Amino acid sequence: LVDKDLTGLSVLGEQLLQILLGDPGWQIRFSKLLFCPCAVMFSELSAQKDGSSLLCRPGSEHQGPVFERASPAYSPCSERYSVGERSFNRQYAHIYAARLMQMRPLLAERAQQKWGRDVLIRKLCDLQAGEQCCVVGTLFKRMELQPSILKEISEEHNLLPQPVRIKYISEADELILEDELQRIKLEGRIDRDKCVTGSVVVIYGAERNDGKFTVEDFCTADLPLQAERPALSSDRFVLLASGLGLGSSHADSMLGLQLLVDMVSGQLGDQGEQSGAAMISRVLLAGNLLSQNTQDKDASTKAKYLTKKTQAGSVEAIRLLDELLLQLVASVSVDVMPGQYDPTNYTLPQQPLHKCMFPLSSVYPTLQLVSNPYQANIDGVRFLGTSGQNVCDIQRYSSMESHLEILEETLRLRHLAPTAPDTLGCYPFYQKDPFILEECPHVYFSGNAPTFESKVIKGADGQEVLLVTIPEFSSTQTVCLVNLRTLECEPVSFSAFSGDEEESEMNISH
Amino acid sequence: MTTKHRLITDSFKVVKRAKRTGKREKTPTPPPPQKEAEIGTVSEEQLQKLRQFDLDWRFGPCTGISRLQRWERANLHGLNPPEEIRDLLLETHNDPNYKLSLWSEYPL
Repeated sequence: LVDKDLTGLSVLGEQLLQILLGDPGWQIRFSKLLFCPCAVMFSELSAQKDGSSLLCRPGSEHQGPVFERASPAYSPCSERYSVGERSFNRQYAHIYAARLMQMRPLLAERAQQKWGRDVLIRKLCDLQAGEQCCVVGTLFKRMELQPSILKEISEEHNLLPQPVRIKYISEADELILEDELQRIKLEGRIDRDKCVTGSVVVIYGAERNDGKFTVEDFCTADLPLQAERPALSSDRFVLLASGLGLGSSHADSMLGLQLLVDMVSGQLGDQGEQSGAAMISRVLLAGNLLSQNTQDKDASTKAKYLTKKTQAGSVEAIRLLDELLLQLVASVSVDVMPGQYDPTNYTLPQQPLHKCMFPLSSVYPTLQLVSNPYQANIDGVRFLGTSGQNVCDIQRYSSMESHLEILEETLRLRHLAPTAPDTLGCYPFYQKDPFILEECPHVYFSGNAPTFESKVIKGADGQEVLLVTIPEFSSTQTVCLVNLRTLECEPVSFSAFSGDEEESEMNISH
Repeated sequence: MTTKHRLITDSFKVVKRAKRTGKREKTPTPPPPQKEAEIGTVSEEQLQKLRQFDLDWRFGPCTGISRLQRWERANLHGLNPPEEIRDLLLETHNDPNYKLSLWSEYPL
């Protein structure tokens, strides 16, 4: 049996085989693990001894079919997220000013669409009590629980340090609208907990005598216009993965990771599976390639002479990543975005990882090291997304829980990261705010989500956007595949121990 | 043994004092009267215009960036900043009195 089975399997084949031979219960579990281009499960494949190309003697003379990988037209459009000169002399007032300048005309137009052409649009300084009007401004949520450096300093005054929380919202929060000159407290029909600081909105209502503004309705900039998506003749897939978490103390994701690499590079499975893998035209790794564990805080706090001989945890992890990437880039184009724990700058926009960290894989032209908000046209399909910091930050500072809901909200706000620079690190831009969406993407994603979710939303002007939250691979062993032709998205799980939730999702053929 | 008695300042000269004097030269800002006298009233009028431009809130905050950068930002966002300010700034772009905003001498 051994020499029959080992033909099509790669490095991990042996382990797989051992598992298959060892325990009959495993066989069924693995049937869910491998991804099947036709609706045939792995167990069935392994049962049919004659039909499968895996279970026959290796043909010594004939090579077997070669599946050409489709290579789509690709153009990166991330220039707006590259930081040229790095000057940190500026305050963040500029980014808020630029944001408001950019958003004001858009919102004024939205207000006229929504409340009629002759609606009164006022600046806060011209506001008169009792007059119904619209005001464009930036929301600011004053939060009691928001961590503050001043409060931290007050530790010296024998106050307890603030505990780390999952959510920083509280009943005492106040919502305030700011324009260029003034600010006003908001009340009424606007969900205080759902809003986050930094979003630019237009509110409709009236100022009351006590100086607060009663909101009757409000509106966001909503989806920008979208370029048309070209019709593709064949199915092509882009594989999205994030949170590989290399260098963590427990290595249980390594099997799944190797299976992922083997699946994509066509080293796994039957000819049917290999031809399916050839339809994956691009791989996008959305951040957190390294685990949080590689960022040991000791190194910065310990005395230098104590850490002289220790190596940073990330060194080994990057080497591992380089080796994994090498296997991938040899057969498919890979875009590598940095994430929160990756060795690049911390503030958004995160600049591409440096190629000197990947001595093995960077010689391949198929390796693209890209910035953190990432934007590209793949076969005419506009991809835009982040490694998830923006979404996680909004989750902490609003009542919204689901990553998908937050993702949609940012699209509606027409802003990738409204909480930057308030609670999310951000480069002090002054000329314009690059996080404002000027063109509607077709696929809008965020990485490092707890679970896979996806949804298609439709805009008023015929926009159609696929929203995807890419699950963290190290905890979910799941990646997702986006079909460029149909904009459908489905998860592929490499977990041997997952429950029964994903039998039907394994099938990628349509 | 002999090295023990040598001071670090033997090999590395004390530079701190020199720095401090440099700073002290910076902090007092009365030189302008001299210059103003040299340049005369025309430039004073120009500077006044530029200060007015700095104080125009419609064009956004002015600290930390040059006047020209601020003008360009306002232009980019369609706020119609006055052309004459730009011409003036392009003519005199090397002079920090013209280049930087009204508040540039204040520490942030």
